[in-house]
Amino acid sequence: MLSQGIWWSSIVLEVFLLARAASARLIFRYPVFYGYISFVLSQSILRSLVHRWYEQGYKRVYWTTEFLGLAMGCWIVFEVYRVALAAYPGTARMARKILVFLFVLAASKAAAALWSDPHLLVETTPLQVERALRTVQAISIAALVAVFVFYSIPFGRNLRGILLGYGLFVGERVICLTFVPPQGHHFWFYAASASYPVALSLWLFYMWSYQPSPVTKDSLQLEYDYQRIAAATRRRLQETSGYLRRVVRS
Amino acid sequence: MIEFSSLIAGIALLLLLLTAAAKGWLASRPLGPEPAASEEDATEPCPAELVNRIFSREDWEFVRGLKAGGIERLFEQERKRVALVWVCQISAMVRKVMREHAQAARQSKNLRISTEINIFAQFLVLMAVCGILSAAIQLAGPLWLGGLAHFAQRLSQRVSKVQETIRAGALSSAREAGSA
Repeated sequence: MLSQGIWWSSIVLEVFLLARAASARLIFRYPVFYGYISFVLSQSILRSLVHRWYEQGYKRVYWTTEFLGLAMGCWIVFEVYRVALAAYPGTARMARKILVFLFVLAASKAAAALWSDPHLLVETTPLQVERALRTVQAISIAALVAVFVFYSIPFGRNLRGILLGYGLFVGERVICLTFVPPQGHHFWFYAASASYPVALSLWLFYMWSYQPSPVTKDSLQLEYDYQRIAAATRRRLQETSGYLRRVVRS
Repeated sequence: MIEFSSLIAGIALLLLLLTAAAKGWLASRPLGPEPAASEEDATEPCPAELVNRIFSREDWEFVRGLKAGGIERLFEQERKRVALVWVCQISAMVRKVMREHAQAARQSKNLRISTEINIFAQFLVLMAVCGILSAAIQLAGPLWLGGLAHFAQRLSQRVSKVQETIRAGALSSAREAGSA
């Protein structure tokens, strides 16, 4: 009953969000985001039909669409990064490096785990794979948000809503997937399912009308000066470190 | 182990996003967050003589020589308050330097990640020193902390020199752009 309620509320919210996007012409402004919402809506209907008419194939359809949805979610995050940092090449570079580092770290960890236990791939359930992938996604989003905050990147209402909604959804999902049992309907199963309607409600609030991201006017050409500043900063840091050593010794 | 790290990642993301939403960190702010009043005032650190005075024991010994308990207590309370204001001023100045640095660096195409990490680490050290100093003043009073205070003062002066370099760089760049 509760599952049905969550399912229907998600469908209604998705339809409402898409209808509002079409009427406010937001759908052309954020095609990736609304593409994701349309995908999740169609996947919910597809899963329901498969569950009703072809139950033995449900598990395969469920996990295939779940991982496709996860990949599309990564595309949303990439789109937020691309749009928000278009005017900030320095921050974009920083964010890219951090994300590459995180993905290399995650891939190395997975490779090391597979190397130590060759049967891991067979023994791992799709739920565990999703949890691992969502964890990497959560860490990446957290790193991106930290970079945005540190460099004071201005966000428009819509972009902020997309990031907050998707980030909260991923965060809640990761926590719930940590506790959700492999079989049966437990509190955490419902909590994991309910995280999506929560995100949809947030999106509906933030995506009611179009509000562009603010454009900055401080487009100073600081390439040469950054090199100079960096050199000066390094020198000062070395001096400070020497000073620290002297203080510790004295 | 994986479950624990997942849980930590999820909670960290939720907390970060909720704090960002509550404090308006991701709001429309083309020139960065509005500085607090104390940050606006924090243009340069207090003169070294004043800091020496705050943490010096000379005044304390003079007041003790008066043999008046009430004045002693009042002196301690006032000195503690002044010392805490000074620590707040230093930490506000450090935050201001970081904000200005971030605003200059975010536009730069050849930003170096290692340098940024170094600067951020320096910022964390300074903020930690200020935090420790503040806690120590609360616990022990300023009169016992002369050495640590001087250390923080020297560090902050070095940071303000970096700030001047950043300002000079931005100004010369703006002039070059204007003349081009």
